[in-house]
Amino acid sequence: MRRALVILMALVLAGGVTYALFPEGDDDKDVVEVSGLIGSEKRDFFQDPQVVAELAKQGLKVNVESVGSWLMDGETKRDFAFPASQPPADKLRDAWGIKEVPVQPFYSPLVILAHRPVADVLRQNNLATLDESTGLWTFRMDAYVAALKAGSTWPDLTGAKDHAELKGPVFLTTTDPETSSSGALHIALLSYLLNNRQVVFDQTGIDNTKKVLYTATALQGGQQSSSDEPFKRFLAGVGNPLVLAYESQAAALVLKGEPTGDMVVLYPDTTIYTDHTIVSRTDNGRKLAAQLRDNPELRRLEARYGFRPQDDPDAFAALVKGKTPAFAPNLTAAKVNQPPIPVPDVLTRLIKAAKGKAQ
Amino acid sequence: MNAPVNAPANNATNDVTNEATNAPVRQKGWRLLAAALGTVLVTVTACTSDATPPGPKVTDPPPQTAQAGVLRVLAGSELQDLAPILEDAKKATGITVQFSWTGSLDGADAVSSGRADGKYDAVWFPSNQYLRLDDTGKSKVLSETPVMVSPVAVGVRSSVLNELGWGDGSKVTWAQIGDAASAGKLAYGMADPSRSNSGFSTLVAVAAAFSGAGAALTEADVQKASPQLKQFFTGQKLTSGSSGWLAQAYTRAEPGKVGALVNYESVLLSLNKTLSPDQQLTVIRPVDGVVSADYPLSLLASSAQRERDSFQKLTAYLLKEDVQKRISETTLRRPVTPGVSPAAGLPADRRRELPFPGSRAVADGLLASYQNDLRRPSRTVYVLDTSGSMDGSRIAALKAALSRLTGADDTRGVRRFRNREEVTLISFASKVKSTKTHVVPPSGSQPGPQAELASINADVQSLSASGGTALYDSLEEAYRVIQRQQQAAGDDRFTSIVLMTDGESNEGATDNDFRSFHAGLSPAQKAIPVFPIKFGEAAVSQLQGVAELSGGKLFDGSGSLDGAFEEIRGYQ
Repeated sequence: MRRALVILMALVLAGGVTYALFPEGDDDKDVVEVSGLIGSEKRDFFQDPQVVAELAKQGLKVNVESVGSWLMDGETKRDFAFPASQPPADKLRDAWGIKEVPVQPFYSPLVILAHRPVADVLRQNNLATLDESTGLWTFRMDAYVAALKAGSTWPDLTGAKDHAELKGPVFLTTTDPETSSSGALHIALLSYLLNNRQVVFDQTGIDNTKKVLYTATALQGGQQSSSDEPFKRFLAGVGNPLVLAYESQAAALVLKGEPTGDMVVLYPDTTIYTDHTIVSRTDNGRKLAAQLRDNPELRRLEARYGFRPQDDPDAFAALVKGKTPAFAPNLTAAKVNQPPIPVPDVLTRLIKAAKGKAQ
Repeated sequence: MNAPVNAPANNATNDVTNEATNAPVRQKGWRLLAAALGTVLVTVTACTSDATPPGPKVTDPPPQTAQAGVLRVLAGSELQDLAPILEDAKKATGITVQFSWTGSLDGADAVSSGRADGKYDAVWFPSNQYLRLDDTGKSKVLSETPVMVSPVAVGVRSSVLNELGWGDGSKVTWAQIGDAASAGKLAYGMADPSRSNSGFSTLVAVAAAFSGAGAALTEADVQKASPQLKQFFTGQKLTSGSSGWLAQAYTRAEPGKVGALVNYESVLLSLNKTLSPDQQLTVIRPVDGVVSADYPLSLLASSAQRERDSFQKLTAYLLKEDVQKRISETTLRRPVTPGVSPAAGLPADRRRELPFPGSRAVADGLLASYQNDLRRPSRTVYVLDTSGSMDGSRIAALKAALSRLTGADDTRGVRRFRNREEVTLISFASKVKSTKTHVVPPSGSQPGPQAELASINADVQSLSASGGTALYDSLEEAYRVIQRQQQAAGDDRFTSIVLMTDGESNEGATDNDFRSFHAGLSPAQKAIPVFPIKFGEAAVSQLQGVAELSGGKLFDGSGSLDGAFEEIRGYQ
């Protein structure tokens, strides 16, 4: 009797197992796991169930972890690293000895976020302009650099005294250029403007720009290591009134239909487009990179997270049309200039100079 | 770390779900198999026993090695209020968060020195600002996600607010607060900035506000603000190594003695829920700016992949709109996910964020000058049991612990006797054997502080063990010593007594004698807290009684006497 029971149980168990294995067998066999490091700005994208599903359909299960773009090179076990811009990607290629040109599936310009009353103060003082017909805001970088050089403070500006939070000097909050891509690109952008709109390539250029770069950095005090933090602090209503962010961070929020309060997106008249660059170490990493660039469904999802797919400019424009705050459907039409980025060695030295480490 | 013996019990309920289905399995098909087996096993267990299934609990201390489904977190103790949220997180994600508690700055040290490596998967302090100033510390953190926000604020009692003519408190500046403090119209409590992030943030905020620093604080800014800072700190009447004790001390203080507390907005608002109507605090966020904590949950670079995945799952959960709303309502901190409204009672108008020091040298310099130059000096009395039972390793441990407080290797003023501090060592057995008082000279004097510290250490090394234990007699003597010192100097110092014993009082005055002695003290003397340290076979009930009667706090020195002596420095 007892023996019969044991056999019965074994059969029940075996049956259960067989049943469980059959339906899984087919669509499962080609799924490979791919793991990599990403900038924090892409975390939500990779966690989106639709993205996960589409990648699974293509046979990929992607495990990601977010880390500052400049902190990715110590990692040697992953299939790929996906920093937010090209300079850290170049550094990774150097460190890993990778020759092939990495894929840049999408990009996003650096923008400035402010609350509407602050944007109005900027506008009254010719630091920003508003195109009433499109609702697009432009941040005047030359005027800003002049304010930085002059040590302008908020109370110096017309209309600022009505706002309790507008005290102290006028400056942009960025991430730490030593650890994070957006902070480093901010230095690249400022150095270009300070060097008479020429990319810095030598010691003379560094010497010409380092004083103001240091000021722009020192004004911020302790800096945060990833773009997520200053953005979240801005949304939570704390921190500096002007925050440098990726357009994608703001756009993703709006496209998710989440309220953004009185947030305004200001496009600097000269800004850097950050090319999200995926550096692959393995074939699985390369497979993922190709999917992100070529798969129409993934491109659609990338645009929904506020990124501009490199090969599909309309994807983003169509989504942001008529949204508040206003986004530029076409950056060229919005007359946004794009400066070149210094070569990695010079950029590193500019960053060190900005951080007060003699160069 | 030495947990105070009277640490609040974390009495959250536990609901342990079956962990079998959460085991990491590579292939989908096998995961189903595991789930099927799991179900069978659970069914069997359910038939044979009604006992709670085993599994990690939120209240458990973190295990030494990583464990599936558990995130081991070194955290600031204020996060205890997240317990109900983390219970829900566990149900929703299968991840159990287990905490070890520490002060933010000590925690930053643990990360920088590598002591957190492998022992914890993540850290969670009110702010990583101090940690980030250290390059090694910064490199130990892989990613951080701010979870909620609370600015440092000043909670002022309504009666005091009216006397000062500050209306509803919505237009007050740090300069006004400083003026009121230096005019003797505003007495406040604040946590020790060398240990607690709220104290440190306050120090940074006032230094930035008084120096008019537009940018990251520099040494020059601190210099410039020094006179005003000194004035501001004349108003500090309570100091504390922890927020919890500070709130208790405020509640105990005589009416009118302490009119304000400096702490996070969330702590002050939460405290209001327990305060009587006349003690209610109006929360002032000074209009010239604040320093805010953003509570970044931070993944350590030393963590393993499994724990990294748990971390991602947990942070995703914590940032969900409904969870953020609940966090704000439960903790009275501000949500970070846009579109989520803060809990009722949190004002929406914005404040400027005051600049933080840009280097560790400036931050530590500011802390050292707070301890040695800016704050009101202390009168610190040690009542030390040197009875026969202390002979051998115990007296050696006592000497070592006290000797550490005279050392110079203390960059931010966590331990060492401070410049201007008056230190009295009372050694007792059957009776008081010796009473030795030292005043550490101020910065820049000749001979400098080092000579006096060496002299304290010489007294410490001369202690020897013999005789009985006349605990209460000796404690009473400490009060008399303080009274004489106060009369002679006519000064106003932070005054406290440390009582270290390894036994039970067996000679002289009894527990009841001491109670009547204490009842007969002047209000000023009654306000002196006694911090007993339990060591060896000390009678906990006697020591707990002394701590409660005097408004002090009991510490456990049986694990590490060094640690207990150091932790008490935050209260002196």
